[in-house]
Amino acid sequence: MIEARGLSKRYGEVVAASDVSFTVSAGEVVGLLGPNGAGKTTVLRMLAGVLTPTSGEVRVAGHGTEGEAFQLKRALGFLTGDTALYQRLTPREVLRYFGRLHDIPEAALAPRIEALVARFRLSDFADRQCGKLSAGQKQRANIARAFVHDPPALILDEPTTALDVVTGRFLLQAFREARAAGKSILLSTHVLGDAEALCDRVVLLHRGRVLDQGTIPEVCARAGARTLTDAFLARVGDEVAA
Amino acid sequence: MRPRIVLHIFRKDLVETLRDRRTVVMAFVVPALIYPLLFTLLGSVATDKRGELERTRARIAAWGPVPEDTLRAVEQQARAEIVDRRALPPPEPEAEARTLVAAKKVHVILLTPPGASGASTPVRVLADSTNVDSDAMERRVSRALTEHGAELLRQRMTALGQDAAAATPLDVHEEDLADAARRGASFAAALLPYLLLVLVATSGFYAALDLTAGEKERGTLQTLLTAPVRSVEIVAGKYLAVLALTLAATVCNLGSIALTLSRATAAMEAGARFSLGLSGAGAIFLTVLPAALLIVALLMAVGVLARSYREGQSYLMPILLLVMVAGFASFLPGAELTAGTALVPLLNVTLLVHDILVGKAGATQITVVWAVSLAWAVLGILLAARVFQSEQVLLSGEKPWRDVLSPGLRQARELSPGNALAFAAVLLVLTFYGSALIERRGGVVALILVSQLGFFLAPSLLWCRLFRVPLRDTLQLRWPTGRGWAATVLLAAGGWSVGAVVWAQLLRFPGARAYSDWLGELLGKQGQLGLGTALLLVALLPAVAEEVTFRGVVLAGLRRSGSRWITVAGSALVFGLFHVNPYHVLAATAVGLLLGWVALESGSILPGMLIHLVNNGAQVLLDRIPGLADRLQSPMVLALALATTAAGVLLVRGSRRPAPEEPPGPAPVSLASP
Repeated sequence: MIEARGLSKRYGEVVAASDVSFTVSAGEVVGLLGPNGAGKTTVLRMLAGVLTPTSGEVRVAGHGTEGEAFQLKRALGFLTGDTALYQRLTPREVLRYFGRLHDIPEAALAPRIEALVARFRLSDFADRQCGKLSAGQKQRANIARAFVHDPPALILDEPTTALDVVTGRFLLQAFREARAAGKSILLSTHVLGDAEALCDRVVLLHRGRVLDQGTIPEVCARAGARTLTDAFLARVGDEVAA
Repeated sequence: MRPRIVLHIFRKDLVETLRDRRTVVMAFVVPALIYPLLFTLLGSVATDKRGELERTRARIAAWGPVPEDTLRAVEQQARAEIVDRRALPPPEPEAEARTLVAAKKVHVILLTPPGASGASTPVRVLADSTNVDSDAMERRVSRALTEHGAELLRQRMTALGQDAAAATPLDVHEEDLADAARRGASFAAALLPYLLLVLVATSGFYAALDLTAGEKERGTLQTLLTAPVRSVEIVAGKYLAVLALTLAATVCNLGSIALTLSRATAAMEAGARFSLGLSGAGAIFLTVLPAALLIVALLMAVGVLARSYREGQSYLMPILLLVMVAGFASFLPGAELTAGTALVPLLNVTLLVHDILVGKAGATQITVVWAVSLAWAVLGILLAARVFQSEQVLLSGEKPWRDVLSPGLRQARELSPGNALAFAAVLLVLTFYGSALIERRGGVVALILVSQLGFFLAPSLLWCRLFRVPLRDTLQLRWPTGRGWAATVLLAAGGWSVGAVVWAQLLRFPGARAYSDWLGELLGKQGQLGLGTALLLVALLPAVAEEVTFRGVVLAGLRRSGSRWITVAGSALVFGLFHVNPYHVLAATAVGLLLGWVALESGSILPGMLIHLVNNGAQVLLDRIPGLADRLQSPMVLALALATTAAGVLLVRGSRRPAPEEPPGPAPVSLASP
């Protein structure tokens, strides 16, 4: 459903991503893990059609960026730390705005918005300006925004960072339900506990390259570690030492 | 570009901007308050000062043997009092006088050197021109001295038995020819252009900053990029939102300034009156409109380069300063609207607003400045659109300029609407100034030859070459279908009636008849040429060159808008604008609508060329066949021609050959362009 084939991105002499390849199937959650500066955001932006790869290919729900950027974006819900909400609009207005940009007919949009308000428990603050919401409320509204066009694939970058435990758990449950509904989810996170709890497979990224990928037990076994955190530290630590 | 998506972005940005208290306060509240406050405060201070000076008695020092009768005259006529009387001046009178004036002990010192004698008594009047009180009292005292001197002369003449009137060989009375309204207009003309331009820039400043650098800083621009929207739709929506806010603020504040100036001029000592009626306000608003288009485009293009709100303020400040400098021109004596200054963006608008206010601006001046300003505005909008296509710019990358200037974005297989408008803008400037040069140096033959070949045909072909677009597809160099040809014959036979009917209606308006006569005289010059030469220059050459330009390059770019109405109306308007005079612009636009429709529907440039050829050829023949013009203008013939034209318009619809494959739509957001 989400496919990266040999993705690379260069800025002059700087290589932000190099030959990155992985797939996320329907009904699967894949974790994209890496330290700061590993190139996760660059890869995610290329997958979302926001950034043009220097080389390589992206496919989401069968659509590539060449000549099908609109279809690709319609198939994808994208949420990163850089995709903020409009401070002076309410969550309901944000959902309506993005629904319209996705060409959802007005008749279908209103019930869709109400369903999202109910699903992500936004009703208490759906008509309050986003600038006046708490971090957790903003993130719930933002995730609803990523779901507004009911995409088959989701890219979520640090969706639970800086959230309280209750909100974090609530969102993880929402992602599980999305997976159960057959959606492909690429989850980038620093919270390795979330990755262990949610991901079917993980991709370890460092310095723009894929170090390893597979199920968590496979990655742990190859690193000679018992937990994902140990495996992560072992692989990244090896790289740093090298 | 999809208008509904642009509308969604426009509406969202407008709502969001209007909820920003800072933007609303800076755009509407501050200017609405500041003008009345400023003028009231300054006016009140000036009035108070004037009243104080009028009430105050001038304090005079008289040093040396200043005649007593002179001092009495000064006391009476200048409402003065002698506060310091010395028989001998001090050793350094200037230094002492400076000290006394600075200490406000005296305003003016009258000094007669000791030992002065004879028929003429020297009196030096010492005052400090940098001291408001001293300067004003000096004028009062000097006037009294002059009058007293004249009186003394009359007395002496009488004493000598002469006619006292002979002492006044010229009885001079100054009278101002300008009435109160003109004095008021002159006062307003010095201030209003500056205030208007600065107002436009400050109104758009915060909105542009908020919707570009502000959105980048808050991360909402990237949110927008994840939706299926094109960069051109984003920039169009944002641009329209800032423009709407700017124009709304301009209208509100134009009213505020007009009312304030009206009050300010009423309070002027010289007696002045200023009143900006609805038509005047409308004319000024329309003049400022293209300047607003340009300023907003620049604010958007530069604002989006910044990565934060604060950085954006630094980037946009030079634009504000540039606008202020252009506006400041209205204060400069001798600054006039000429062919040279009409080319300078913003400055031309300032000078034109000035001329409109003092009643100097003519229709041609207004059209030229409007067209040139519009050309600049188009270039500004294209710059903004180009900057918004850079992913390095939108994603706050390093060195965004490198990405903006990279040649990759320039590669194109087809012309875009923006490209077509840029071409028109370049051509407009080239034609206007080039024609002015040729008119001075060459005759009508040179003018037609150079303008058709050098200003239309050659630039059109060069433009296609520059952007590497195929000539055949761009210019629609295709043989029309049989139905297309049939329609062309009908339109060639009756198409001239469109221009004739529009002209007949326009002749009812003031100035149109004079222009029509002038144009007739100009066209009549071709009567001196041989028939073949006249047909070549007046009919064939324009039919080829102008069709290649307007129904070729311009229409090809606008075709990519996806809207047939934008394509036809846009190409017609561009065609019309090249005719400079407002009446001619309207008539040519009407003809342009017909030719654009034919080119679009027939899928070929050839029918338009033929219709153009017949239409212009008829003009040549009209002057050579007596009575033909009258016969063509008979209602019966005109009605028949219009009916033929209508039939041709309907017949040509959908007559183009089916293309093997339609070209793909314009690229979505270039960030990962498809």
